[in-house]
Amino acid sequence: MKLRSQYYPFYFVLAALALYIVFFIIPSLSGIAYAFTDWSSYSNDVNFVGLANFKTIFAPGENYLKYISNTLIFTFNTSLLKLVLGLALAVLLNEGIKHFVHIYRTMIYLPAVLPTLVVALIFKSILNPSTGLLNTFFRSIGADGMARPWLVDPRIALMSVIGVDTWKGVGYIMVILLAGLQTIPREYYEAAEVDGANSWSRFRHITFPLLMPAISVVTVLNILYGLRVFDIVYALTNGGPGYATEVLSTEIFKTFSQGQYGLGTAISSILFLILIVAGYIVIRLMDRERVRE
Amino acid sequence: MKKAILIAFLVTTIAGLGGMSVHAQAKTTLTYIISQGWMFDAEQALGKKFEEKTGIHIDYQVIPADQYTPVLKTKLNSGEAPDIFGGQSGVTDLKLQYDVEKNAVDLSGEAWAKQEDPLVAAQSTLDGKLYGLTIWDIYGTTWVINYNKAIFEKLGLSEPKTYADFKALCQKLLDAGIQPIYEPFSDGWHHVLWFPENGPRYEEVTSGLADELNLNKAKFADNETMLTDIQQFKELYDAGYMGQNALSDTYADRTKMLSSGKVAMILANLTFPQQVEHDYPDVKADTFGAFVIPLADNQNLNINPAGPTKFIYSGSQYVSEAKQYFDFLTQPENLQYMLDNTPEITSLPFSGVKSKLLESQQAFLDAHTQRGTVYQTAVNYVNPQWMDIGKDLTAMVTGAMEPKDVLASIDKRRADLAKAAKDPAWNN
Repeated sequence: MKLRSQYYPFYFVLAALALYIVFFIIPSLSGIAYAFTDWSSYSNDVNFVGLANFKTIFAPGENYLKYISNTLIFTFNTSLLKLVLGLALAVLLNEGIKHFVHIYRTMIYLPAVLPTLVVALIFKSILNPSTGLLNTFFRSIGADGMARPWLVDPRIALMSVIGVDTWKGVGYIMVILLAGLQTIPREYYEAAEVDGANSWSRFRHITFPLLMPAISVVTVLNILYGLRVFDIVYALTNGGPGYATEVLSTEIFKTFSQGQYGLGTAISSILFLILIVAGYIVIRLMDRERVRE
Repeated sequence: MKKAILIAFLVTTIAGLGGMSVHAQAKTTLTYIISQGWMFDAEQALGKKFEEKTGIHIDYQVIPADQYTPVLKTKLNSGEAPDIFGGQSGVTDLKLQYDVEKNAVDLSGEAWAKQEDPLVAAQSTLDGKLYGLTIWDIYGTTWVINYNKAIFEKLGLSEPKTYADFKALCQKLLDAGIQPIYEPFSDGWHHVLWFPENGPRYEEVTSGLADELNLNKAKFADNETMLTDIQQFKELYDAGYMGQNALSDTYADRTKMLSSGKVAMILANLTFPQQVEHDYPDVKADTFGAFVIPLADNQNLNINPAGPTKFIYSGSQYVSEAKQYFDFLTQPENLQYMLDNTPEITSLPFSGVKSKLLESQQAFLDAHTQRGTVYQTAVNYVNPQWMDIGKDLTAMVTGAMEPKDVLASIDKRRADLAKAAKDPAWNN
């Protein structure tokens, strides 16, 4: 029997498309439209103000560029650290460790399932400058110089938040990479060994290229997560001390809480734009890398 | 016969049900929404007494504090507000947050209005009309420097009259191995108090400043006294008088720290000593004394006459019943009941109510006749940016901002808020 057409008719998709338009496309576009208004909780009138909200964001002396910079620093560092550490742990669990692999895997993954608030509360206590476990440990071994005000010194607070977030998220990345590693056929490694390839060569020429799809996925996930980060920053430092760890999402939250909806929507639109550009660039780069490999 | 009995039974049953329905309809329910923390158990107990007396039921709907304002504003904007709603008094909030001229009932003619402290009533008044009832501890919650009298006596220290005195005594305390001030920055709000609570001093030096600021004819950044205040605050921090861990210290630890005797002073409510005694019964309330915030050489008592206030919704079907409830609450015996049965409050702003303040605290209030209103209440658009000022001050003490920039930043946010509110003083 011959099929009349290999495609379903277009109207099959109409219902789903209508729902998508009503519940996603229209709210998203209206959201962007509100970025050009003076919508606030202080007045019932909503007036078109052109680019005024965006001018405010990029005006000299405003802190918004600092928030964008903090967001990018956070994203770059957490993405890199989670990828490198996650890959190292995945390779170790896949090849290096022979016993209790399931226990180690569970232990490393555990922080990923803990609620962020719980992680933040635990680390606030651990990183407390006077009574925290970390500084107490340093003092007990005579390394007083290592004891620092981790979350309250503006010079190191963002790095401390990055460290905590990496600790929480690395297990999740490791699991994805481990799944990727386990799809690589053993025969490739055996053939490489016969050809005299050392560990690094095997990693460079077999593991890394064949793991590229998984690396692409975790990189995109890490970057999108990093750019949208809110909870860990809010719970650990609330953007402080001062504005040292303020990121775009915490600022959006604050602006909306103050009833400045138009301005808040403008900042959200900028974040949306950054997310689209970053996502597009990363996916294109990864695709190119995959094709080359 | 059976048929007749059945008909009679049905008739009486229907009549009975009808009567019940009439009776049920006669019982009025007033809906009352309020933010958590503004509602005392004693008020709900009084609500039951009110129901017994009048048959009017009060349906208290207590909403978590962080969600309250959006919920209330949504109800007000959609024209579906409850019969009674809670809100923060203060002229800015009356107009901007609640639009009381549109949404609330004029209560100027109520009997209790004459018994209310005029300073407090003024914060619920707009264009000469009283819109709210404030049953809140105004004087007990005054923010003053509480100090450990025993430590002061031991080191021969006395209450400071100037900033120089204050700084000198802080140094003596530090030299004696005692942390002079407990300042919990980490909560984000407490350290802000040092600035707007000193409003009476700014007003004393520049008479009419609050009005000028509200008319957009003056700027924070141009005021030398304000600059002095925050520069001195930074000086205290830099000198280590707030301890090495001020940025990570928490407000929750305040009674623990002050009861330990390792810290000598804290900026806290006048009734802070009672809180210490409550948490640490061995440390009696009379361990502590109080003096006013001495920054910028202030000697005025800072009063915040604004507080959680009750309003009657103008669109309510039961305005007279709601007024009855307010009248019931403000009967002297009911106010006294509320005061006596609420540990958090020590005084109420109504005549004929006996306060729970310590004698020394009452004497302190009586002695400070030179008083004024704090700037978060007297000046528009300061209170809504409280946490931002906190961030600025933290940035200032950590060296990321200059004191002048902090004031300029406050001006900037005021302008943004005023423009959003379409305040004519900023939009002309």
